[in-house]
Amino acid sequence: MAQLREIVAHAHQSGDYQPVIEIIPYAKIIGVCCERFGEEMIFRLPKNPDNIGNPTLPAIHGGVIASFMELTAAFELTLQLDQPALAKIIDFSVDYMRAGRDRDTFAICTIERQGRRVGNCSIIAWQDKRSEPIASARAHFLLDSLTALE
Amino acid sequence: MNTEPLAKCQRFLAALAHMRKLNMQAVAADKHQVTVMLPVQEALQNHQFKTYMHGGVLTTLVDTASSMSTLVALDEYELCPTLDLRIDHMSTPQLSQPLYAQAECYRITRSVLFTRATVYQASLDQPVAYAIATFMRPETGTTDSAFKALIDGTAAGLP
Repeated sequence: MAQLREIVAHAHQSGDYQPVIEIIPYAKIIGVCCERFGEEMIFRLPKNPDNIGNPTLPAIHGGVIASFMELTAAFELTLQLDQPALAKIIDFSVDYMRAGRDRDTFAICTIERQGRRVGNCSIIAWQDKRSEPIASARAHFLLDSLTALE
Repeated sequence: MNTEPLAKCQRFLAALAHMRKLNMQAVAADKHQVTVMLPVQEALQNHQFKTYMHGGVLTTLVDTASSMSTLVALDEYELCPTLDLRIDHMSTPQLSQPLYAQAECYRITRSVLFTRATVYQASLDQPVAYAIATFMRPETGTTDSAFKALIDGTAAGLP
């Protein structure tokens, strides 16, 4: 995992987080990108005709929105850990509040608590205004998953 | 009118851009449950980091299967937005095998549909994940009639 540490360290230095995002193939498929604003990382899912799940509105596929939020949490944890690691998901729960229209979507993850073994995250996703989220989600991640996976 | 569940599922998958992109397949369907498969594909592999599996895409598979279980449970197509979805991940899937999600809509009320789903690879007794979801039924007449006809297989003139 020295390679991962290198990628993360380089991303923090350069401010280009794309190499981190491309570690997870599905994030690349749906087109996740990310920018740092001071201490905050804001993730963006650009408008993409391939992400449509309801052609009549049209609206983004609900699964894509949920995945985008899950990936937001996974990347946030990876980037914030002292020893960068790919956290493994335990559970994920999403509430949809508004239709995700065919335009750019944003997400931010708050790490509510980071223990030794488990990270507790909450994520919101929005389009027009952050105060009018299209979905909110909670997730738990296993942080010692590196050893658990080997 | 063609209401055969598997054909209905296949029309649904074919109509959605993201499902075509992932080559999502309906492999079994009846009135009570559907099984959707996500095939093994190069675009979802990262050979450099073998430790990380289907980040995110499992969620899309579960959401799709759950929503398709409402498709077969209802006589006619209704556009039902998802209210919520919860997934418990029990084991890590193998990238070298397809991923299946079997979903069932176990309760239909006037306003809400309740679903549950199991994600597996080798067999249903070795679950990768469990999920439950709820969907909101739309008010009568709000579903796009052309899209409804396309999914229900009653769209004579449409390709």
